[in-house]
Amino acid sequence: MEPQTKRWKGSVCDTDSWVAYPVLSDEQSQDVELIEAFAAPIVNKKETSRLVRELNSVYPLNNLQHVKRVRAVKEKGSGHPLEVLVCLVSEAPDMKVVSIDSLLPSDGVRSDGLGEPFVVRVPARPPLTRPQFELASKHWPTSFHEDKQVTVALRGELFSPPQKARMHMYMMSALTAAKAGKELGMEAVGAVMVHPVMERIIAVGHDCRGDHPLHHAVMVCIDLVARSQGGGCYSFDRYPACTFTSDTFQKVPDAEASSQPYICTGYDLYVTREPCVMCAMALVHSRIGRVFYGTASVDGALGTKYKIHTQKDLNHRFEVYKGVLGKQCEDLNNVDDHVKTEHLKKSR
Amino acid sequence: MGTEEAGEAESFYPSEEEIEKWMDSAFDMAKDALENGEVPVGCLMVYGDEVVGKGRNEVNETKNATRHAEMVALDQLLDWCRSRNLDTRSVCERTALYVTVEPCIMCAAALRLIRLPVVVYGCRNERFGGCGSVLDVSSANLPQTGTTFKCVSGHRADEAVEMLKTFYKQENPNAPKPKTRKD
Ligand SMILES: [Zn+2]
Ligand SMILES: [Zn+2]
Repeated sequence: MEPQTKRWKGSVCDTDSWVAYPVLSDEQSQDVELIEAFAAPIVNKKETSRLVRELNSVYPLNNLQHVKRVRAVKEKGSGHPLEVLVCLVSEAPDMKVVSIDSLLPSDGVRSDGLGEPFVVRVPARPPLTRPQFELASKHWPTSFHEDKQVTVALRGELFSPPQKARMHMYMMSALTAAKAGKELGMEAVGAVMVHPVMERIIAVGHDCRGDHPLHHAVMVCIDLVARSQGGGCYSFDRYPACTFTSDTFQKVPDAEASSQPYICTGYDLYVTREPCVMCAMALVHSRIGRVFYGTASVDGALGTKYKIHTQKDLNHRFEVYKGVLGKQCEDLNNVDDHVKTEHLKKSR
Repeated sequence: MGTEEAGEAESFYPSEEEIEKWMDSAFDMAKDALENGEVPVGCLMVYGDEVVGKGRNEVNETKNATRHAEMVALDQLLDWCRSRNLDTRSVCERTALYVTVEPCIMCAAALRLIRLPVVVYGCRNERFGGCGSVLDVSSANLPQTGTTFKCVSGHRADEAVEMLKTFYKQENPNAPKPKTRKD
């Protein structure tokens, strides 16, 4: 593996020119939502464990399990070393002047050792990513169950140089197909289906909507994969750049795949631009493994308009990465309009 | 949506009698499919007073998971146009789809892409529905995905649901082997 990679790096492929970033769900990518709460200084440190216990029984803060109850005060010169969350502002009894005694029922918590309350803002939901965790922690100490893969992926460091070299090669094939389609007056979009374990290209397709309005590159590619497994319902034989490899190896049989045509189970798709709604859902139906795309599209359904791969109600979810050969894929779309008008002029 | 075609599409709308008549045919198709152990979805594309596309789910035989009834019917419509040398777009813009179950997200997007103006359907599709159940693709603001379409829903919905339930009961997970057809 290694020497091959070095050769790639030195010659055709400059894998340093692009970074693949994950397209995460809205929950994972949104800003940290904050909620107001009352905190109070613990003036007598010795009372801390009793206070926490008693506060927990009166105000358990059930929806804020990710928030630490007590925080250390870092500023020098403050009269107290610790602060404790008392309750959410929304839970507090309605009153004009807030005092520690008005917040605490006389029989529940002894307010000895607590100072006067003040309002703080704490993260409303558990952080899902390291950036969210770092933001949340600026407001109040928060616990975080880190998904290491997401953290590494968000830094753009998930894929090793040999992996990137292969991704580069697959997207180059998609780019080549896109250009071949463009030559024929189609939209400049190419797609490549890959068996990642075998490191093998199963099918290559380009946009063919000149003769069928729904033959987007992804749909073409899915049908070519079906053909590679003895199915399929179209012939793309007149397009030399649309190809498939006949199935000379057995796919790992799993219970689901044996009775159902979830033909893309475990496969990776490389496509030059973000799939539309139809294509994205076609990938869900086909149980795609992962999708890599070069550049976003206006009505894109894997990040831009929808994130169909993270849609809660759907029965199949998958990982999506964008930015593979982003520049080259973007250029493809930019020249696309120009070429299309040229083609129309010629055909008139 | 503020497209210039919108006005034209608005004026095209099936009458009550048409809905009744074509949905009856769609339900007959679905029943027939159910009796043959296939996904009980019936689907017709009607242009003027003619059925120009008729589909049933062909996912298993093609190994292509996108071969839903709507996609199959749509291919027939395209062939119909080709054989009569008619412009696909102007035919699609005056064609109605009658289907017993709400089209899925993929099919809803496909119907937008071909600019079909009206979809009449029976029951909701809670798992994949693209006309409001999971996503509302039919009316979403997607400027590069054709035109929005109108939905007329709920026609014989209970019956459509019953057929699906019966089908999924037959597709028992305890029977992992693919069904062999007794012809
Ligand atoms: Zn598409
Ligand atoms: Zn569908």
